[in-house]
Amino acid sequence: MSAQAITKARWFPGVLGFGSFIAAVLLIELLIRVGLINRFIVPLPSDIVLAFPRVVIEEHVLSRFVLTAAEAFSASILVTVFGVAGGVLLYQFRLLREATETWVAALAAAPLVLIYPLYMVIFGRNATTIVAMGFTAGVAPVTLKTLEGLAGTRRVLINVGRSFNLTPSQQFWKILFPAALPTIFVGMRLGLIFALINIVGVEFLINCGGLGQLINELAERYDLAGTYAAISFVILISICVFFLTERLERWLRPVE
Amino acid sequence: MAAATVLSAASRPAAAPDGILVVDNITKRFETPEGVVTAVDGVSLSVAPGEFVGVIGPSGCGKSTLFNIIGGLLDGYDGTVKVAGDLVRGPHPAIGMIFQEESTFPWRTVLDNVAFPLEIAGVAKRERYERARHFVSLVGLDGFERRYPAELSGGMRQRVSMARTLAAQPKILLMDEPFAALDEQTRLLLGDKVLQIQQELKQTTLIITHNITEAVQLSDRILVMTYRPGKLKRMIKIDLPRPRSSEIVSSEAFGRYVAQIWSDLREEASRGLRADEAAKLQHGGQP
Amino acid sequence: MTLPRAAPRFLQPVTALRIAIIVTVLASWEALAASGLLYRDVVPSLVAIGKALFSLLTVPDMPLQIDLLGINTAITIPAIYWHLYVTFYEIALGMVIGCLGGLVAGIALGSSRLLRRAYEPMLYYLGPCPKIIFFPVMIMWFGVGPGSKVAMGAISCFFPVALNVAGGMREIDQVLIRVGQSFRANTWQMVTKIYLPAMRHPIINGVRIGLGVCLIGTLLAETKLSNSGVGFLVMQAYNLFNMPLMYALLIVLFVIAIGANALIGRLGGLDDIKRR
Repeated sequence: MSAQAITKARWFPGVLGFGSFIAAVLLIELLIRVGLINRFIVPLPSDIVLAFPRVVIEEHVLSRFVLTAAEAFSASILVTVFGVAGGVLLYQFRLLREATETWVAALAAAPLVLIYPLYMVIFGRNATTIVAMGFTAGVAPVTLKTLEGLAGTRRVLINVGRSFNLTPSQQFWKILFPAALPTIFVGMRLGLIFALINIVGVEFLINCGGLGQLINELAERYDLAGTYAAISFVILISICVFFLTERLERWLRPVE
Repeated sequence: MAAATVLSAASRPAAAPDGILVVDNITKRFETPEGVVTAVDGVSLSVAPGEFVGVIGPSGCGKSTLFNIIGGLLDGYDGTVKVAGDLVRGPHPAIGMIFQEESTFPWRTVLDNVAFPLEIAGVAKRERYERARHFVSLVGLDGFERRYPAELSGGMRQRVSMARTLAAQPKILLMDEPFAALDEQTRLLLGDKVLQIQQELKQTTLIITHNITEAVQLSDRILVMTYRPGKLKRMIKIDLPRPRSSEIVSSEAFGRYVAQIWSDLREEASRGLRADEAAKLQHGGQP
Repeated sequence: MTLPRAAPRFLQPVTALRIAIIVTVLASWEALAASGLLYRDVVPSLVAIGKALFSLLTVPDMPLQIDLLGINTAITIPAIYWHLYVTFYEIALGMVIGCLGGLVAGIALGSSRLLRRAYEPMLYYLGPCPKIIFFPVMIMWFGVGPGSKVAMGAISCFFPVALNVAGGMREIDQVLIRVGQSFRANTWQMVTKIYLPAMRHPIINGVRIGLGVCLIGTLLAETKLSNSGVGFLVMQAYNLFNMPLMYALLIVLFVIAIGANALIGRLGGLDDIKRR
C-alpha cells in the first residue's frame, strides 16, 4: 500500500491520534528519565501506570465510583423531576414564561457552582451539599429544553388532537409530551452532564464524597503518581459517561 | 452564415502560438469510486488579446474542471496552460477569476471588497481605494461603496465580484457561469454591462457557460464542448457587429447561431443522458 | 388583557409579574430571616446583607502602597477592589492564553481533514470533563500563586474555543477560500483576511462560552487554594462564618458574571447588518 493510500485509509486518523498520544507519553517518560523534566513535578508515566492497580484496590475506587454515581443519580432524578415540571409550568402559563424565561436562561449561563460555600453552610460538608450542587447546576438546562420541546411541537399534531376533541389533559399527555420527549432527553443529558461536572468538582473542592475526593486526598498526600492516576481515571469515566449518554440519546431519538 | 470549423478527434490542431492564453492538449482524469473518469480530454484552445471567447457545453462536460485548471486551482493534469508565454503552475497574476457562486465577502463593504486584491498585493491605502473606486464606478455601483453585500441584490453582488477581479487588472478574465444564480432579465442587463466593460478595457475574456443566449451575445468566438470526456467539438465564429447590446438577441443572425449551437448541444446532452442511465443500470440503480 | 398604550410601563402584565415575583421572594426571605427557623444567620436579614454589601464596596480597609510614575504614597481602599483586580487579571490572562491556543488549534484542525479526524474527538470528549480536577497538577507546575489560577482558566477556555473554531472552519463558504487563492493570498493573509472574518460568529460564541468556563475555573481554584482574589474572599467569609458578607460577595460575583456574558452577547449581535 502506498504512503498516500495509507493516509487516506479509514483507520488512519484514529491510529494517528492514538499513536501520537502514546508517542507523547513515551517522550515524556524519556525526558523525565534523562532529567530534563523534574520528576517531582511530573511523575514517570510508567509510575502512573503502576499506580493504577494500587489506587484501584487500596483506595476503594469501586466504592468511590458507586458513591459518585449515587450522588449523580440522585441529582439527576431531582433535576429531571423539577426541571421537566418547571418546563411544563412555563409552557402552560404564558405570562409566567414571558416574565421568567430570560432569567432561567441567565441562570443556565451563570457560574452557579460558586454557591457551593453557601451550601456547605446550609447543609454541612457532606453528600447533601454535593447533590444540591448537582441539582442547582443541572435544573436550568432541563427546564429550558423541556420548554423548547413543548413549544416546538408541530402545529399539525396539535390540530390532529383538536380534531379528535381531546381534553386538555389528554392533549398534553398523548400529543404534546410525547412529541417533546426527544428534546426533553437532550435536556436531560445536558442536565446530567452539568450535574456530574459540578458533583465531581465539588467533591474535589470540599474533600468529601467519591472520586473527586480521591484526587484531593492523593494530592494532599503528595502521592504524585497516584494523583495523576486518579485524574486519568476520572477523565476516562467522564469520557465513557459522555459517550454512552450520546449513544443512548441517539437511540432514543426517533428518526426525524 | 457563420464559418464553423468542426474539430474532429483525428486532427488536434496545435493552439495558435500567438494567443495570449494558450491551452495545449489538456487531459484531466479523476479517481472516483466507480473507476477513473476522464473529465477533459485533449482540449486545446487559444485566445487572442482583446478577444471574447465563450466555451459552451452540456452539464457534466468538464467545463468547470477546465476553468479550474486554467485558473491554476487544479493540478495533476496532462498538457500545459501558458499566459503570455509564461507557464501556469498555480493561480497566475495575469489571470483573474470570477466564480459561479456568490463570492463577495459579507463582512466587507463594497469598496473594501473591490480593494481586496490590491490589499493582498500590498498597494498603499490611498492608491488602492482610488483604484477600487474607479472599478466600482465602472460596474455602475457608484454611491454603494459603503454598503455591505447583504444590502445589495444578487445582480449587484455579482457586479461587486466582477469589479473586484477587474481591480487586479488581469490580462485575462476567466468567468465560470457568472450569471448562473440570476434571473433571465438581470442576466441580459448584466451581459450588456460586461460587453460595455470589455469594450472599454479591451479585456481578453474567456467565459464558460451553459447558456447559449449569453454565449452568443457576448462572444467573438464560441467553442462547443462534447459531453464527458470533454473534447472540443466545434468552433464557431460569431460575426455579429460590435458594439453589441442586449437588443441583438432578437436579430435573425442571432437566432441562427443559437439554433446551430442548440442542435450540437442537444446531441451532446442526450448522449450524456443515455450514458448516465447506462451507468445507473450498471451500478444497480445507485449513483 | 391589553392595556391602552398610554398605560405606564410598570403596569404591563409581564413587568408587573416580574416585580411581583421579586417582591414575593424578597419578602419571604426577610420573613424567614426574622423567624429564626433556620440556624442563625444562614438566612440573614436583607438589611444585614445590604449593609455588608455597602461596606464591602465603600469601606477602605486595605492599605495599598502606590509606587507609580514618581507618585509615592500609601492609600487605603476597600479590599474588594484589589481582589477584583487580582481575579480580573487572572481571568484576562487565562482568556488570552486559552483563546489564542484554542484559535490556533481550531484553525489547524479545521484546515486539515486528517488532523481533524485524528484529534477533534479528543477535544470533543475531553470538553465535558471537570477541569478543576487538574488543579493539583497546576499547583505543582505553577505554584500556589496566580500562575496556577491562570493555568486553570486557560485550560478551561481552551476547549470551547478550539471546538467552536474547528467547527467554524468547516462552515466557511468554500468559494471565499477559492477567491483568496485566486488572488494568491499568502497563508497569513488567508488567515487574517478570510478565515478569521468568515468565522467571526463561531469565534465570538466560543469566546463567550470560554469566558463562562474560565470564570468558573479561575474562581473555583481561588476558593480551593489562594490568598487573593474574589474566590479567596468568599472562602474567607465562609471560614469566619460571616454570612452577610458571603451573600454580598456572591451578589457582586454574579452581577459581574452575568454582565460580562451579556456584553459579549451584544458584541456578537452588533454584526447583524453584515450577516447574510
